[in-house]
Amino acid sequence: MGTDVEDRVHEGEAAMSEDQAGPAEAEVDAPRRGHGRRDLVIVLAGLLVAGLGLGAWALTERDDTYAMAEERDVVLVEASAAVEALNTLDHRDVPAGIERWREVSTGTLADQLADVGEEEMRLLAEQESISTGEVVDAAVLDLDAETATVLAAVEVTVVDDSDGGSDQPEVKRNRFSAQLEKVDGEWRLASLQQVAVSL
Amino acid sequence: MSASVRSLLAVVLAGVLVAVGTTGAVLAWQVRSSDAAENLAVVDADATAEVQSEVAAALTATFTYDFADPAPSEAAADELLAGEAREEYDTLFASLQERAADQELVLSAQVQSVAVKALDEDSAELLVFLDQSSQRAADDEASVSAAQLAVEAERREGAWVITGLEPL
Repeated sequence: MGTDVEDRVHEGEAAMSEDQAGPAEAEVDAPRRGHGRRDLVIVLAGLLVAGLGLGAWALTERDDTYAMAEERDVVLVEASAAVEALNTLDHRDVPAGIERWREVSTGTLADQLADVGEEEMRLLAEQESISTGEVVDAAVLDLDAETATVLAAVEVTVVDDSDGGSDQPEVKRNRFSAQLEKVDGEWRLASLQQVAVSL
Repeated sequence: MSASVRSLLAVVLAGVLVAVGTTGAVLAWQVRSSDAAENLAVVDADATAEVQSEVAAALTATFTYDFADPAPSEAAADELLAGEAREEYDTLFASLQERAADQELVLSAQVQSVAVKALDEDSAELLVFLDQSSQRAADDEASVSAAQLAVEAERREGAWVITGLEPL
């Protein structure tokens, strides 16, 4: 492209030196028009790239499945943390443990936990055990914008602390179905049910 | 405006437009090629339901066993289990057969819940809650147990085959 225009510029200069009269001005216009067309092509090419890129981005943003895929991964992480929290309690600081339970819950579960009073906390503390929940595996069963159901296999390690924690910890394996609701952009437990055998 | 200034402006404008377009394309590519986007679990409802029901049926068939007629369990294992899952099943099956006839053992299994963790065109990871009951002639009642399994599956010739079974 460049050489073509340069050629025309040289032709224009040649024409001027040969002939000083009017036609020379017309010859000078030719390269200018060439520049104009080249500029237009450059800008149009830029527009095309911008259009394609923005189009790809807009299509991706409008496709709900990508947002849903990310939400599925988010709910899995937040559900696992919440399920672990509700399977964890240390008799040495029951109020803090219950507070943590309340933080990750909502709805019916939050109402139930709100009713846990000093008497219940005292009873929990008297058990003198330290429970630690770990989600071994979890998967999302259902998901929409506001609610989700997550299955979780949980290992709860219980240390009997009544004799200074010298006993072997006891490991319990549980399976849970967790209902979650989205509250202020955060997934919280609305209920946590053990999945019982039903044969 | 002189021609050279106009040319410069055109090049700068085109450069900005190319930058905008490239940014859009890169953002789109990042979203589409993320791990989350490539996992079809839950997001693709039909594919998720298909692998859920096929894996549930496969586990029910292979974990149901009758001492009087062990052939269907073996046939199901041949068809629906492969790789490590098959090896584990064979080990289990061998020890089962030793006791089964004497004890008149009947096992039955039912999938309680199955959720899909990861899914693409030809592989899947699932979490399965399985209920099992075992009944021996000497027992009045069957003993029931709850199992949690991490299952891996592969699509082979159109059908889902279980390739990994890990009790949790």
